[in-house]
Amino acid sequence: MTATQTRPPAATDRPVRPHGKTPLYKKERPLWMLLPGGILMLAVIVVPLLVGVFIAMLDLDQYTLRQWFSAPFVGFANFAEAITDSPLLHSIWISASLAVLVTAVTVPIGVAAAISTQNRFPGRGLVRSIYLIPYVLPAFVVGTFFRTMLQPQGVVNAIFHTDVLWLNGSASYWALAAVMVWTSWPFVYLLSLAGLQAVDLEVHEAASLDGATWWIKLRYVIFPYLRGPLSLAVIIAILHNINNFTLPFVLFGIPLPSSVEVMPVLTYIASFQSFRFGLSAAMAICSLVIVAIPLFVYLRAVQLDTGDDARPSRGQRRLQRQQTGAAA
Amino acid sequence: MKRRTLIGSAVVVALAALSLQGCAVVNGSGDDPNTLRVMMGADTTYPKERKQWQQDTAAAFKRTTGADIQWETYSSAQEELTAIQTSVISGQGPDVYAIGTTFTPTAYATGAFVEMGKKQWDAVGGKDRFDPASLGISGPSASKQIGIPLASRPFVMAVNKDLLAQAGITEMPTTWDQLTEDAKATTGDGHYGMAVAYADGFDPWKFVWGMAQNAGNTIVDGQKAEIDTKAVQDAYRTYFDWVTKDGVVDKAGIGWNNAQALAQFADGKAAFFPMTTTTAINSFKNTKVDGKYEFALLPTVPPGATERPADGIDAASILSGDNFVVADYGKKQDLSFQFVKQTTSKQAQLEYYKLFGQLPTNAAAAAELAAQEPTLKPIIDAGKLSKPTAFTGAWSDIQLSLVDVVVQSIPSLKSGEVTDDQLRKRLQDAQKDAQSTLNRQKNGGL
Repeated sequence: MTATQTRPPAATDRPVRPHGKTPLYKKERPLWMLLPGGILMLAVIVVPLLVGVFIAMLDLDQYTLRQWFSAPFVGFANFAEAITDSPLLHSIWISASLAVLVTAVTVPIGVAAAISTQNRFPGRGLVRSIYLIPYVLPAFVVGTFFRTMLQPQGVVNAIFHTDVLWLNGSASYWALAAVMVWTSWPFVYLLSLAGLQAVDLEVHEAASLDGATWWIKLRYVIFPYLRGPLSLAVIIAILHNINNFTLPFVLFGIPLPSSVEVMPVLTYIASFQSFRFGLSAAMAICSLVIVAIPLFVYLRAVQLDTGDDARPSRGQRRLQRQQTGAAA
Repeated sequence: MKRRTLIGSAVVVALAALSLQGCAVVNGSGDDPNTLRVMMGADTTYPKERKQWQQDTAAAFKRTTGADIQWETYSSAQEELTAIQTSVISGQGPDVYAIGTTFTPTAYATGAFVEMGKKQWDAVGGKDRFDPASLGISGPSASKQIGIPLASRPFVMAVNKDLLAQAGITEMPTTWDQLTEDAKATTGDGHYGMAVAYADGFDPWKFVWGMAQNAGNTIVDGQKAEIDTKAVQDAYRTYFDWVTKDGVVDKAGIGWNNAQALAQFADGKAAFFPMTTTTAINSFKNTKVDGKYEFALLPTVPPGATERPADGIDAASILSGDNFVVADYGKKQDLSFQFVKQTTSKQAQLEYYKLFGQLPTNAAAAAELAAQEPTLKPIIDAGKLSKPTAFTGAWSDIQLSLVDVVVQSIPSLKSGEVTDDQLRKRLQDAQKDAQSTLNRQKNGGL
């Protein structure tokens, strides 16, 4: 047996292209069927994005709102102001740090919750339903609920016998993080549960027969199955947390304490309080670019953007190579 | 294949066109010529009364005009702004808006509302049917007005007569320093001199604005912001000292909004509730202060002074209330003016006061009410001594800057001291923001 014979078949699945001709698999593809999706994407994403970029280059405010198409063109002035003369960078830092922190806390909670309801037990359905309550409650309800509890004379201070200002000052950052954790962990739980459902019973049995302890099973059998769903959960949770508008808006009102001056609310204030639509569009675009770069790196790292879910991990590839070498 | 592709493309384009047309039809259906769209703030204090008023008003409107009213509501100032902005851009939306007086300059700046000439004033029953003071923030000048006064809510103090009597206070304070002294005298035995809400989104700037006006500082002087000044600094200092130094305000007030301060006063725990209006009357019913309180004018002599300086302004309150504005993109302006005429008639205004505790802007109704209810005299006087905030499209942003000084100072208030350096720095920031907003004004800010 040679090394070439044992390589994964993926590379050889593709039809052989006769020299100088369009391959058969490309010839008959009905690409026009992508048209509805393409048009929809154009209308829903590309056009608004382009309009956003155009608005970001206008001096659009309450005085020019009515004839917005003829508002003075200011080029990149709004972008320059957003970066150099507005709290945008501070707010990106606040939003991004909150998003990473909250996601880092929710992942173990979500995984633990999923594992806790993996085995059958009486009342499992009820427990699973209860776990979803924070996720199904509307964000403004959660915000109002916690706003009441976090008042200076509210339940939280009463329970902990503290006298902390949760809704202002530096403690507000931790209050917001805690509320975001409370609302967002069930999402990680859901995706982890979906990942766990994919683990075959035979795999559990085989591991048990091999005498694997619970930790070995968890680390080397269960977690590899969760890698895909969790990578997806992390990216969606980070995006969701970065864009969280309702919770800080309802919890703290306007103007926000500077320690929770998050990006979506800052953009909202620029638009709907200060009427600086051009500046707020520029802020949104700058934020998009700044946030998109690390996200792109992350997507590449976890290979969620390849569309090849079955692609082996680096470790698996190394193992494969070793096996191949040994066989040769 | 090409033919099939073409047919497929045509079908997709046709479907997209139909969908877009469908959107247009949906929008158009809201433009029924026999239905007037009226947008007002949601009334969380008197929801039942509001619903009843809307039903009665719509029924009367139907009898006189044959047209229906479609009520739309906004639940916050931000929602109000969003609705107006959307309508201004799209040229579609409500025909009549009831907006807060301080928002009228911003609405004026958009240029999307009917400027009231003689014909329009006549259509709503004549300009002289309104109390002249209530027209103070209808436009930048008497000849350029968009706001038709609906309700007046001048700010006053509610005073617990029993607590004042126990402290031997027989006269209402007329200077801010006297108010502080009286508050000190009434603090103790579980009572506080004042109920103040530092975390409210609106109260703080009204205090500061009032004290600054009394000292002759109008916050905005033409194109110039005047926040980083001694008068404004003194105003903030007085306001902060009540809770940090004088100890006349419950420390919990640092995290309160206006409703929570009102609750403390209604519970009989505070002698003065110095930023309230007639809408509180119904809230005080069946509480510990029912029958034991009265209203008084807010002081009009600035902090640190015993009498108002020569350039000081006798401002007892901001000119507060609601104005109607009629959209100029609508094709139902005649109906809109008929609606305004109906709701600003003498009878309708007296009914409005009875239901919601908001003072009439109709001069005849206001006079009759003053004669019937002498207890309202301080509030009616406050209405006469109300002064408008600067009529500029930049006001909304300036107001936010004034509140932000307090919001960012709350941790220091909690720790017991806002230092002069901290205050100066925050005033400088607010000054910079306000001036930058004023510098961006177009059309002279209007």
